[in-house]
Amino acid sequence: MDVELIEIREFIARHHPFDMLPERALDQATGSLRGLYARRGKRLYQTDDAVECLYIVRTGALETRNPSGELLARVGEGETVGAGALLHNGRAINTVEAIEDSLLYAMPAETFHALRTGFKHFAYFFQPAGGDRLRTGRAVAGQAHGHHDHGPANAHLDLMSMHLGALLRRAPVTISPDATIHAAGQRMSEQGVSCLMVVDPSDDAGHPAGILTDRDLRHRVVAKALPYDTPVSQVMTPDPLVLDADDYLFDAMLLMTRHNIRHLPVLRDGALAGVITNTNLVQTQNTSAVYLVGDIFKRDTPEGMRDALDMVPDLILQLVETGASAHNIGHVISSLSDAATVRLMALAEQRLGPAPVPFVWLAAGSQARHEQTARSDQDNCLLLADTYDEAKHGEYFQAFTRLVCDGLNICGYVYCPGEVMAMTDRWRQPLKVWKSYFAKWIDQPDPKALMLASVFFDMRPIYGNHALFHELRSFVLKKTSGSKIFLAYLASNALSRQPPLGFFRNLVMIRGGEHANTLDLKHRGIVPIVDLARVYALDAGSEAVNTLDRLDTAREKGSVSKDGAADLRDAWDFISTVRLRHQALRIRANQKADHYVSLENLSNFERSQLKDAFSVVKTMQGALATAYQTGRM
Amino acid sequence: MLRHVLGLDMTRRALWLFGKPGPMRDYYREDYPTLDTAWCDMDFLAIDLETSGLDPNTDEILSVGFVPIRRGAVHLAEARHMLVRPTRPIPERTAIIHGLLDGTLENAPPLDAVMPEVLKAMSALVPVAHHAPVERAFLSNACKMLYGQPLVVPYVDTLRLERRVLERRQEAISNGVLRLNAARQRYNLPRYRAHNAMVDAIASAELFLAQVAHMDTKKPPRLDEISVG
Repeated sequence: MDVELIEIREFIARHHPFDMLPERALDQATGSLRGLYARRGKRLYQTDDAVECLYIVRTGALETRNPSGELLARVGEGETVGAGALLHNGRAINTVEAIEDSLLYAMPAETFHALRTGFKHFAYFFQPAGGDRLRTGRAVAGQAHGHHDHGPANAHLDLMSMHLGALLRRAPVTISPDATIHAAGQRMSEQGVSCLMVVDPSDDAGHPAGILTDRDLRHRVVAKALPYDTPVSQVMTPDPLVLDADDYLFDAMLLMTRHNIRHLPVLRDGALAGVITNTNLVQTQNTSAVYLVGDIFKRDTPEGMRDALDMVPDLILQLVETGASAHNIGHVISSLSDAATVRLMALAEQRLGPAPVPFVWLAAGSQARHEQTARSDQDNCLLLADTYDEAKHGEYFQAFTRLVCDGLNICGYVYCPGEVMAMTDRWRQPLKVWKSYFAKWIDQPDPKALMLASVFFDMRPIYGNHALFHELRSFVLKKTSGSKIFLAYLASNALSRQPPLGFFRNLVMIRGGEHANTLDLKHRGIVPIVDLARVYALDAGSEAVNTLDRLDTAREKGSVSKDGAADLRDAWDFISTVRLRHQALRIRANQKADHYVSLENLSNFERSQLKDAFSVVKTMQGALATAYQTGRM
Repeated sequence: MLRHVLGLDMTRRALWLFGKPGPMRDYYREDYPTLDTAWCDMDFLAIDLETSGLDPNTDEILSVGFVPIRRGAVHLAEARHMLVRPTRPIPERTAIIHGLLDGTLENAPPLDAVMPEVLKAMSALVPVAHHAPVERAFLSNACKMLYGQPLVVPYVDTLRLERRVLERRQEAISNGVLRLNAARQRYNLPRYRAHNAMVDAIASAELFLAQVAHMDTKKPPRLDEISVG
């Protein structure tokens, strides 16, 4: 290759997976290329044609269709076609046509195979899309970025990626330099802090003039028997070391270790934003969730609880930054909703007196599955013992559920638009009525019943008599695991939401050639997996409601293949992680956390991984359709 | 002129018969395909020169870039860029255009060392150039000077092809629309930032492929439909 093919080499090097090739291999790859021109409408090859090279799009766009003419993908600048054929003995499976005037680079099959043999990143990229590629891709990326796989043991703090700003819990407690050390001591015990930031009230910038710690009081005041009216400025450490909120946790640890200090003021935009203490540093992220749960239980009003729960977005941000898994984050956030619900019920009981008959409060939907992220609508219901008598007890439970649902609404878990709430009369019923509901849904699965089923098959007891719930659950599971017809309807319903075909430039490609500007990660990614797991779990008669737990038990009981379960698990984890990262970015930018990600914000690697995750979901949906012959319905 | 009497092919035959042994005679031994060959069944060499000025009688070749087009594909592996040591200092006004300064060319081989390689690459191929009269005149002059014979070969001129396209569409041909980059844009070809003889040779090779792809002929165009004698 002439060294001056730099224009072409640079283009290749900008695109995945060529960006992962070392310099020498890039030279080899570039030197092997042939330039081709395809006018719009030109067919590159069709099913069964011999394909001798990999085509890389330099300008323009191509379209791939399967033998029945269905659109499979559109590829634009920097993307490739032909790998499938090259890995299929050089025989084309699909048809490829230029949909714009295109300049293409053709890489001969021998170079393609040599690069695959030589570089595993490159080979992984061209593996048939799906679970294996998703897994190996993530493992390879993990190695490349020095990250550990996010297993259950990810409670460690990621020192190099966590910003100090994410660790700040409360506004700093300050004192003026001319206050007395007596006042300082009082303030510290009132506020329960081990240090005070000394800020001159006349300093508008809020820059710390000094720091006063409990260790200073011991060494510089008590040990020296200074009078209590000594001014703070005389014993404080002036001009303390500071770091910025954007600095990494690692920087803080280094600085604190080097100078043997236990408190470190953190500035944001030059103004004091908080203090990092060495206890902060040894705490794991879960302690702040534990702290938050404790805080919720101390509150006496829904408004107070709402203030405590305002921390949730920050907590999500912090959890994402510490590299917690989507599974763990779902548990943490859902347990906060549980805490708020339990506290509201305790408050309601304080007001109305103890319940006249046994009951259990059930969470439904994502809270039940332990899969909440940002706070969402409330979905709940009340299950009463059969001793319930509407005439005698109706009024109590109406008032009780009203208080809790209203309280949840104030806390930010807004009323369910579909009225799936315990305050709705229909969803506040004794056991026998609930049994009749489920019996009807299972025996007569009309669309409305299926919609309700997907809400109420995900239930978890939050507060009250759990035995009532267990009785209902065994009744339901016994009925569903025998009913192939119901499961077939549920399966068919699970296929109604399909993942996208893929991406084309900055558009999401949807079956039938439609485009969307943003990717709805919830409905196009997560919900289809949740729906699949529900079918497997009910088929297996499993009690699990959490999606990953469902996949595990379904695999053990054989209602889903081992590989299928593992693939779906990885797909769920990856899509959920992308969603959480997206939400964390929104939170940091002071925007509401949503499920819609713009493709400009996804890296090439994330796009290719998402495609694999979608392909897993498509494969499993296809398998479910075959297993239940949903086409017949 | 000899070729006006004998025609192009006979002229090349005569030049081979009467030529002295050497690169030029070797060149003429291999003939290019006949004029009725379909373009996609034959091979071309896209070629571009940087020169010290526009007059082939007084100015010199400073660099040669080329890339072969085989069966409708630009073979990048065979792309070459060769610098030529000039015999006289380079005028400043042209150095600004091609960026080739005396210092860069000081250690380059002289023209008589470069031309045999160029002729070898051109052997049996039809040259393609954007505004081919420049390449034709400079290369032919170089051959006359070094080997005593002109370089007689049909050229594909992508600028001429482009003019023909625009004339058929009855579009106004204003200043600049026939330039290499302007023409490439009309075919959705990328803009190359670098500017040297090899990049320009690749650029005109791609333009040529695009132009042929856009010719609305039933059969693939033949050599005589795209070349100039």
